[in-house]
Amino acid sequence: MTCPKCGLMQLPGPRCKSCGAALTSPSGDPSPTRPSSLEKTATPPSPELPTRPSRPPQDAGAASQSRRPSFHGTGWSLFSIHIVNTFLTIITLGIYYFWGKVKVRSYLLSQSEFEGDRFAYHGTGKELLVGFLKALVAFGIPLVLLGILRELLTSRPVLNGLLVLLTYLIFLALIPFAIVGARRYRLSRTSWRQIRFSFRGQAMDFIRLFVWGSLLTTVTLGIYYPFFETHRHGFLVSHSYFGNQRFDFDGRGRDLFRRFLLAVLLFVPTLGLSWVWYLARKQRYFWQHTTFASARFHSTVTGGRLFLLMAGNLLLLLVTFGLGWPWAMVRNVRFAFRYLTVEGPLDLAGIQQEAQTASATGEALAGFLDAGLDIG
Amino acid sequence: MRTDWEGSYLDGRTADRQRVVIRPMRNGLQITTEQGGTLWWPYGETRQTQGAYAGEQVRLERGGDIPEALLIPDATFLSYVHRVAPEAASHLHDPTRRRMRIPLTVLAALAVVLITSALYLWGIPLLTAVVATRVPVAWEERLGQAVTGHLAPPGKRCLDPARAQVIQEISARLTAPLGRSPYAFRVLVVNDPAVNAFAAPGGYVVLLRGLLDETQSAEELAGVLAHEFQHVLRRHATRALLQEVSSGLLLAALAGDATGAMAYGLEGARRLGALRYSRQNEEEADREGMRMLLDAGIDPGGMITFFARLQKEGKGSPVLPAYLSTHPRFEDRIGRLTQLATQSQTTPAKLLPHSDWRDIRRICPTTGRPA
Repeated sequence: MTCPKCGLMQLPGPRCKSCGAALTSPSGDPSPTRPSSLEKTATPPSPELPTRPSRPPQDAGAASQSRRPSFHGTGWSLFSIHIVNTFLTIITLGIYYFWGKVKVRSYLLSQSEFEGDRFAYHGTGKELLVGFLKALVAFGIPLVLLGILRELLTSRPVLNGLLVLLTYLIFLALIPFAIVGARRYRLSRTSWRQIRFSFRGQAMDFIRLFVWGSLLTTVTLGIYYPFFETHRHGFLVSHSYFGNQRFDFDGRGRDLFRRFLLAVLLFVPTLGLSWVWYLARKQRYFWQHTTFASARFHSTVTGGRLFLLMAGNLLLLLVTFGLGWPWAMVRNVRFAFRYLTVEGPLDLAGIQQEAQTASATGEALAGFLDAGLDIG
Repeated sequence: MRTDWEGSYLDGRTADRQRVVIRPMRNGLQITTEQGGTLWWPYGETRQTQGAYAGEQVRLERGGDIPEALLIPDATFLSYVHRVAPEAASHLHDPTRRRMRIPLTVLAALAVVLITSALYLWGIPLLTAVVATRVPVAWEERLGQAVTGHLAPPGKRCLDPARAQVIQEISARLTAPLGRSPYAFRVLVVNDPAVNAFAAPGGYVVLLRGLLDETQSAEELAGVLAHEFQHVLRRHATRALLQEVSSGLLLAALAGDATGAMAYGLEGARRLGALRYSRQNEEEADREGMRMLLDAGIDPGGMITFFARLQKEGKGSPVLPAYLSTHPRFEDRIGRLTQLATQSQTTPAKLLPHSDWRDIRRICPTTGRPA
């Protein structure tokens, strides 16, 4: 059933799992095994309902095994999807773009496998288009108007200065808003074994975290940055769910601080390469401190490999004038999966469906602001 | 003939996967679980969400917001369903039609390549040329003011009135044949040792002292000014701005979503593509600048000797191959200019016969500059 307050779709219970609002079951019988709202769609003509198997979950035998996601897609198939999308986008003057995006995401997730099952994408082109139009009206046009106003007021430095400050503050608040919105939308449209992911963090909390973090980073001349980054990542991870099971993050910024300082100090002598090593270190650290129930993620990415990936993609896109994008994308996914494992017992039997409704407005805003999400 | 297919069933409520056997019938799928329970999925309520591409499992879904799903690893299942229920299951993907995709994809690819190259080679230059002429001169002037504020900060401008007057005379001589022009040309000299000159939109031309020092005669300066004035008249700065936006859009259509390092790769590709436009603009400014000199009755030799000298001294760094440079190659440039200059029959009179050019060059304050 769906929570009337926050829109979380969940098995019936006395209170909403996300926002705590009281739930009233339409049938008055909050039986957890046979939710009335789901039963309607699941009733076969035969009276025998498929009963949940009594055998132990199939993963129990391999409880402490390490599991690895795998990717089955190829650059060529993604290219053929992409080139048809490009063609249709051009001849529809851009309208098809959103449907094309759905096809690409759907392909990438469908080709991603974990424990013998593929992921699935449930977003639609219409949703993305509506989100885009909403974001355009609510944020795009006001921001452009503000920019024009600033141009007109160039002769009045004080007023212009205030406007610049205002624009900066708006952006500072909009970027976290967009990040949360995009994550909420994308996770709500992603499933594995038909169980949806969701993100349940409050935008206000993240905006507060983001604005404070940005200000502290500026005031401390960047010293606070690794702490800020860790808090930011922690917030996004620890409010993410798979069904009713939350992901958790126990990283601390101070563990990254020394590496960060070293990377900054060596930035000039190593021509920026030290930063790539820091990025790899950060990825390993972040995964290492991400847990899902009693399982823990583990990454073995190294700076050298990350550098090869980035340099390769850069060159690929440069020489193909962007046409090599599908191969770069496939390289990215393969790379992310190659070094990632999930260690420890994974109890999937206890996971129940909890899905969430979310609009694509934040996602579109993230597109405007270029606040892209690098997942993985 | 095989009639049963193995698969898995997901109830949409838990992450538990149940093994099932699926038998496609005339009107729907009969699903039997390991415990012997059966499910009936009419084709009309069944939709396919995966399995349209090679290597994908077949995923069928049924239900509203949180559907149940059937997963069938063997894609030949679909061919069988189409045989058993050609009408009722026609909305499911048919693998036999997959072969059609290759020629269609190739066609789409060809069309994309043709359309984007046509846009890049002709569409964008044409569009920006047309749009740029519609941009009001007042906007360009406002933009020009902002740009010159950065390039020529008031503190660094050289304002010696007598010498500035001479430079003003040269530009008046150049622009006289234009008749009524929407632009009021202003030449600003900046105390900077670099050998360079810029044309900002709206009629502002910024000359750096280093370039002025390189000129040996009024004719040479006239050549540089003519080139820069043409940038203004042809609205090259405005066009470059529009070209940047439109080529960015084109590239965004060509490449998918890009983040992180991939975005830099695309930006690099865009800049590389923009170099062609930049070279075209330079060539146009050379060509029309030469015409401007001839129309004004100024000796075109000045422009040629000046560029030739820059080339000899290696200034302006023409070491990059032409396709990587914003400016055309110097040899090509001088060749073209000489060809244009020889078309003129008249022998022009010397520009400013009564003034000493070396003195004019000293427009900037001499303190702190090498003799």
